[in-house]
Amino acid sequence: MKSVLVANRGEIAVRIIRTAREMGLRTIAVYSEPDRDAYHAQLADQAWNIGPAPAGQSYLNIERILEVAAETEAEAIHPGYGFLSENAAFARAVTDAGRIWVGPPPAAIAAMGDKVASRRIAIEAGVPVVPGTESPLEDPAEIVKVADRLGYPVLIKASRAGGGRGMRIVHHPSEIQEAMASAQREADAYFSSPEVYLEKLLTDVHHIEAQILVDSHHNYVYLGERDCSVQRRHQKLIEEAPSAILSLPQSQELGEAALRIARTCEYRNAGTVEFLADSSGSFYFLEMNTRLQVEHTVTEMVTGVDLVREQLRIAAGRPTSAIGLRADGHAIEMRINAEDPYNNYMPTPGRIIGYREPAGPGVRVDGWVSAGVTIPRFYDNLLAKLVVWAPTRTQAIGRAKRALHEYQITGVPTTIPVHRTVLDHPDFISARHHTGWLEGEIILTPSEPEAPGSLPEEEGVLRQDMTVEISGRRFVVSYWEPDVGQEDPSAKVRRRPPKPAKGPVVASDGAVTSPMQGTIVKVNVKVGDRVDAEDTICVLEAMKMENAVAAGQAGNVVELRIEAGDSVAAGAVVAVIR
Amino acid sequence: MIPQISVIMGPCAGGAVYSPALTDFVIQVSETGHLFITGPDVIKAVTGEDVSFEELGGAMIHASTSGVVHFVFAEDALALDGVRYLISFLPQNNLELPAYFTPTDLPSRTDDLLDQIIPDSSNQPYDMTALIETILDDGEYFQVHEHWARNLLVGLGRLDGHTVGVVANQPSVLAGTLDIDAAQKGARFVRFCDAFNIPLVTFVDVPGVLPGVDQEHGGIIRHGAKLLYAYCEATVPRVSVITRKAYGGAYLVMNARGIRADLVLAWPSAEIAVMGASGAVNVIFRREIAQAADPEQRRSELIGEYEEEFNNPYKAAELGLVDAVIEPRETRPQLIAALEMLRSKREALPSKKHGNIPL
Repeated sequence: MKSVLVANRGEIAVRIIRTAREMGLRTIAVYSEPDRDAYHAQLADQAWNIGPAPAGQSYLNIERILEVAAETEAEAIHPGYGFLSENAAFARAVTDAGRIWVGPPPAAIAAMGDKVASRRIAIEAGVPVVPGTESPLEDPAEIVKVADRLGYPVLIKASRAGGGRGMRIVHHPSEIQEAMASAQREADAYFSSPEVYLEKLLTDVHHIEAQILVDSHHNYVYLGERDCSVQRRHQKLIEEAPSAILSLPQSQELGEAALRIARTCEYRNAGTVEFLADSSGSFYFLEMNTRLQVEHTVTEMVTGVDLVREQLRIAAGRPTSAIGLRADGHAIEMRINAEDPYNNYMPTPGRIIGYREPAGPGVRVDGWVSAGVTIPRFYDNLLAKLVVWAPTRTQAIGRAKRALHEYQITGVPTTIPVHRTVLDHPDFISARHHTGWLEGEIILTPSEPEAPGSLPEEEGVLRQDMTVEISGRRFVVSYWEPDVGQEDPSAKVRRRPPKPAKGPVVASDGAVTSPMQGTIVKVNVKVGDRVDAEDTICVLEAMKMENAVAAGQAGNVVELRIEAGDSVAAGAVVAVIR
Repeated sequence: MIPQISVIMGPCAGGAVYSPALTDFVIQVSETGHLFITGPDVIKAVTGEDVSFEELGGAMIHASTSGVVHFVFAEDALALDGVRYLISFLPQNNLELPAYFTPTDLPSRTDDLLDQIIPDSSNQPYDMTALIETILDDGEYFQVHEHWARNLLVGLGRLDGHTVGVVANQPSVLAGTLDIDAAQKGARFVRFCDAFNIPLVTFVDVPGVLPGVDQEHGGIIRHGAKLLYAYCEATVPRVSVITRKAYGGAYLVMNARGIRADLVLAWPSAEIAVMGASGAVNVIFRREIAQAADPEQRRSELIGEYEEEFNNPYKAAELGLVDAVIEPRETRPQLIAALEMLRSKREALPSKKHGNIPL
């Protein structure tokens, strides 16, 4: 393999290009119009425009991506995560075009992409699943019956759900009808399939997932688990490896279950099997992600394996080099998103004004932004993943807090304040948190130092920070000043000044002179006339142009030295005013 | 480098005068402000000339005769208002653009007055100030050096909210000819605009350089070359509008295509030629006129033919000396579009210690 096309954007495109370059591969990036200057497009050896901003016309445009692959003779295509990564049709199209698909076989993608089918596979592999239905449901009455058996709360879930979309929690039979309709609508919109099924909602559980690698030489490798229980709206925010609630034998058991599923669906390449686990360590199969995960970094930190490199090796038909590795230490990943945690995690695309990444021992930042970069509103809002590694979980938490302290992003609100709050919370420190914990327990108080300047109860004042030195020691002092509103640039001084002063230049001797050599064509005054300074004495034609000769001062014409037709030299006196 | 402004509110004499002299703009307050190197007493002692403070170094004398002062105001407070107003057109420094003001005047505004401003007879003058004020945003035009070398107008205004520097011939003074003072005034202003990223808009109606022995002996060649040099050196956007006469060397100096104006627009009334029709005919057809049965009639026939051929902008447009012939009323929208197009113009001069402008 000599070249790879990365069919993605943002940090994951950057991540893949980095490893590909380390392996000496030629890298080809694709970008949409707003991403023309994005970092991934700059980093790759070549970058190709694949269409306008909407993902449907660019990053999901299979035809155009394959066209670029053909044009650039890219040997392999890496889909990253999201976009086309779990699209079996795309995987098949890539293989059909004679290129290497860096991912699992299309059949495995298709099987595991369907939640109902994947549950069947898990059961077949002897892995416990979350109690629920084994086939799609259409009749609300039937759902009520099953839900009664399972016990509330239950989860209505789209067969193709992912990323927290297409799911509805139901606490009472009366809610089923509406929840089902809305889950179907969302499922139809996001996954083009309105199929839904039912699962018991397990509460107070950890989200734990197993990272596996399978090559075409029958090597099945389990690279340990990740705990991704800090979530909001079913979207992960903080991930760590290993999980603090699993013992080593429990982790091994989880890994074996994951590999059994991989065998059953004839999996190949990197994959993640997701489970829900209660505090006793018993776990239930949730779903399988047939791609590289966002949070693959924590596994890399504790195992030392470069998962992208393994993916490329396996795709090229070589055996994985990750056999027999053991996890070491503890890693935490924090997703730095452009969203406002004080405003219901509302996405806040916009321009980054200032940007400074943390560094130092055990800190890794996988990102794609810098100062001046605009986060497009068309895609997800992940700016960077801050990953820390330390020998123990306690040290890792300390290191994470230190790194967050160094991280400076201005211009858009980010999730940094949430991370700080979580890392300081006793529930997280003692690993008593669960998937519903963040939304249920954490109330962010916007009075933290990095909160927006204006406090709600102090509308009309603006916080200002000033650095002062008192007796040789540096302090940052905050003060509040009246908010006079955004300065309107057009309110700047632009008042027209009074007309500049005019008036007699100098008290002259009263002589009116010809400004230039020419011919007098007309005389407007007679001797004895009263004239004002502006009045015309005569008209002089010079340079084919008539020039009015003004009196220059008020007074009486006492002398007139010219008449029409006269030729006058420049400076000649034509009249005298007194 | 920042724009520098001096305000002379009291006496400023001797070596101290060089302090304001070096700044970009000098504002002087009438009556209280005085500016001279040697005072009336010394002059009296040395040359015997009797002169008052006001006559020697008063505001109006510097504003109208010496050209030392750019603006005159009647009192201190008004002078300070003038400074504020002036600053509103300027950038903070040479690396920034002048402040942008959200325009209150439509960029597409056309004005019929412009269609009528050129008199029917080509030897009738008109007021170029009125023309400029019609075109700029809200008629706002801050004239610099209003009283000195009045045959050339220079000043600041805005087009669609962006500051522009305006240079224009004034046909109602000295027929709009270029003379020594006008060339110096124009050169200084063009260089200021270039130094501070202010695009230049030039209105051309110039019958030539002012003829005369005193002009020639006064060095109009080297002074005229200053304006030529200043334009050639300017890397800011440079757009010209030829309203009427654009004759000979004087036109060349007024930001012609030949000295790399970015865009040259012409009104239908434009006359672009080496010289006026009768002069040209006298030179070119001297023999033919002399040998004609009726020389005067032949001359007027030839003048008619010449005018037909050259007293319009189309020949020049054909030769690429003019980019477009526009309706006068369209001048404002056309200029705004041109400057919009040129906003990204970035031109660098070859690296050097400094050019050698003919000072």
